[in-house]
Amino acid sequence: MLNKLVLSYDMRAASIFSIPKDLPDHERQKRRHMLASLGIAWLVMMQVMMFAFPGYLRGDYIGTESLAMLDTAIIIMNWLSFALTMPVLLYCAWPIWQGVFKKSPSHSMRVNMDWPVALGILTAFIPSVIATVSQQGEVYFESVAMFVAFLLTARYLEFCAEQSARYSSIGAPATLEQARIIMTAKADKIAFAFVIIQILLAIISGLVWYLFIDKAHALPVLVALFVMSCPCAMSMAVPTASSAARAIFLNDHSFTPEQQEFVLNLTRKTANQNLYGSLAWHILMAPLAMFGLVAPWVAAITMLVSSLAVAWNSWRLYKKFHNQGFIISLDWTAGKAVQG
Amino acid sequence: MESLFLLLPVSFLFVIGIGIALYWAVFSGQFDDTEENGKSILEDNDSNHT
Repeated sequence: MLNKLVLSYDMRAASIFSIPKDLPDHERQKRRHMLASLGIAWLVMMQVMMFAFPGYLRGDYIGTESLAMLDTAIIIMNWLSFALTMPVLLYCAWPIWQGVFKKSPSHSMRVNMDWPVALGILTAFIPSVIATVSQQGEVYFESVAMFVAFLLTARYLEFCAEQSARYSSIGAPATLEQARIIMTAKADKIAFAFVIIQILLAIISGLVWYLFIDKAHALPVLVALFVMSCPCAMSMAVPTASSAARAIFLNDHSFTPEQQEFVLNLTRKTANQNLYGSLAWHILMAPLAMFGLVAPWVAAITMLVSSLAVAWNSWRLYKKFHNQGFIISLDWTAGKAVQG
Repeated sequence: MESLFLLLPVSFLFVIGIGIALYWAVFSGQFDDTEENGKSILEDNDSNHT
């Protein structure tokens, strides 16, 4: 009895931060690197955000006696931010640079996704380094750190979902895998079109701001739009939904084909909600960024919000059956789930 | 405000230290098998004690 209890407990990972025992060694090592870079990116992000704060206050001190000292502090903080952002770029963001320079046919979607991310990071980072060295102008190190940290959060969740897909497909019906492949192809197509349009929009908006509106504000507009062109939420849409479905099938092996079809339909629905919901969110945010209303760090937060919303929506699918699995398996033959 | 010039390097060193500690923790297996110890109590063999 106890053994059985422990066994069923093993079926689902208790913590997304622990590294599952049943993975092969290289997958475990990859997961460790992702966890370490996720933690370091969040740590640096918090500190660099603190260091960025005096820069926002500077305007209030112009003409006062403390301005000189504030400026000295800002220069030190810029250098410290620069030093802290380096390991984030060189270690945490390493998979992004790899993705840009290495073309892997199995992950063509990844390649598309790494380009806008790399563009966003570099357009924020290089001018910040110049501003730090020349001691003039604004720095965007906090936006770089936030962007990388949030992106890694999305990818970590996606990677956990993909790993569970690869190594626990026993017990899940083959129709789920078929549905996953079809949905992934659709999501890739939509995300690809989205990235191309967003990058074009970003470059055009940046040019318009630079030439006609406000030279100084062109860079933050460009960075914000590059950050928002990252389709993290869209690339999470299908993996998180299909791994939720897989967990449902793993928890209960007694599904009839009709019940399986019911779960599959709900999975398709959830994946579509994820995909079109995050697309709508990005389309709504893009005009705001084009008008210069979205600072680069706000853009990073909008990206995090959509990724977490996708993860939450897929988790809801799993939760729906996890709580009331028993009631539903009794009433399902009618093709309808009884809520509550 | 002068204390800032001491506190800034200190906070910098702290972040570096915490980052290194985290890296060590992940790669020395501190995040592996977080369940193991909790479960060992269920798998305990009590038959010897009777």
